[in-house]
Amino acid sequence: MTHRLNNILINTLLAVFCGLLLLWFSTAYPFLSKRLVDLTGDVLSLPEKPALELRMIVQAASNWVLERKNLQDRNKELELENLALRRALQSAAAPIPETTSELLGARVTLRYPNAWWKEVRVDKGARHGVRLGAPVVSDGFLIGVVSSVRDDYAWIELITSASFLLAAAVDDTWDLGVVEGDDRGNIWLQYTPQEKKFERGMIVSTALVGDYLPPGIPIGKIWGPGEGRDGFLPWRIASGAHLTQLYNVQILLRGAEGSLP
Amino acid sequence: MIAAVIIWLLQDMIQVLAMGFMLVPEFFLLVVVYEIVSGPLSSTRISRWIWFAFAGGVVWDLRWVGVPGMTALINVLAVVLVYRIWNRMPAGGRSAPLFALLAGVTHFLSGILHYLAWAVPSQAALRLFMIQQLIAVPVLVMLSLIYAFRLRKNHA
Repeated sequence: MTHRLNNILINTLLAVFCGLLLLWFSTAYPFLSKRLVDLTGDVLSLPEKPALELRMIVQAASNWVLERKNLQDRNKELELENLALRRALQSAAAPIPETTSELLGARVTLRYPNAWWKEVRVDKGARHGVRLGAPVVSDGFLIGVVSSVRDDYAWIELITSASFLLAAAVDDTWDLGVVEGDDRGNIWLQYTPQEKKFERGMIVSTALVGDYLPPGIPIGKIWGPGEGRDGFLPWRIASGAHLTQLYNVQILLRGAEGSLP
Repeated sequence: MIAAVIIWLLQDMIQVLAMGFMLVPEFFLLVVVYEIVSGPLSSTRISRWIWFAFAGGVVWDLRWVGVPGMTALINVLAVVLVYRIWNRMPAGGRSAPLFALLAGVTHFLSGILHYLAWAVPSQAALRLFMIQQLIAVPVLVMLSLIYAFRLRKNHA
């Protein structure tokens, strides 16, 4: 009896020690831990494939009507905007640039509960043309940028992440600010002067910031002001995408000449 | 153990299906608890189940939790808790309701520890936790019935 208990006790203590060692390892070497996570995801992707496909079918069926309406509205909006821009370019006698980039559809394959508002993993990677820093959209609105890429998958840092910072502009007033997340699902437009007043519903879009992130990608709409500090007033932005239920996203890829529209 | 591996894969697939809607109940842990109480309480067998629960937890952590070691530790502690209580219980007291109670408490503790370990405990997370616990109830009942059937068969 005592021998039996001792044996079990030793195994329990060993297992607990190994568990604690793993916990320490995951906090001390997050990069290696993440590699292990990715490796496990790769290995399990095969048995999980039927479940993933089934989820997509169910999701697509249930969202079909809603998405169709949203897309039609958005399409109409974009067509009008496109027409107005073409007219403006024609009147300015400027050549109309050709679109040299494309959108790559990707499925969300992983979203950790403890990093719900920080990152998601998608099933497209370097092999499909995904590059680091590429913008990711859903429902036509920016939801994040690619933060790491492997051959067959990529991690996307969400716009709601506290470490996400992005220059943005309010379309109607051309006022610039910095879009920032808070890890709790909120998006804020920071560093706008306190005297600036925006109206609810004004569109906030990306400003010109780099090679990969073109200006003019809509992020969301102004929702309301936050608490002002140091002469600045943050404005809460309501994302145009359904950030709580991300299943399919689109990654903006570079075109043949390496430029973006 | 093959049954437990299949249940682990099933739990994984259900989580893939339900990602974003709900947290899948700990079917794997429930089956491990069932297996422990269903067989002889020899040290070799229990030690094997301890490491098996640990391994299942590590892979689950690597796939879904992102913090390797957390579920593994919870699983090991759950197995030891179940073993200690079951071992102290006289043979006549090892009934299906006691099994249901033990498995239920184990599942609840596992769920609450995961919930508390989350970075941002919120109303949404609490709702997910409640749904997870509720969905586990029919599985608990089913396992208890199987256990009761097995007991009756053994005594017949």
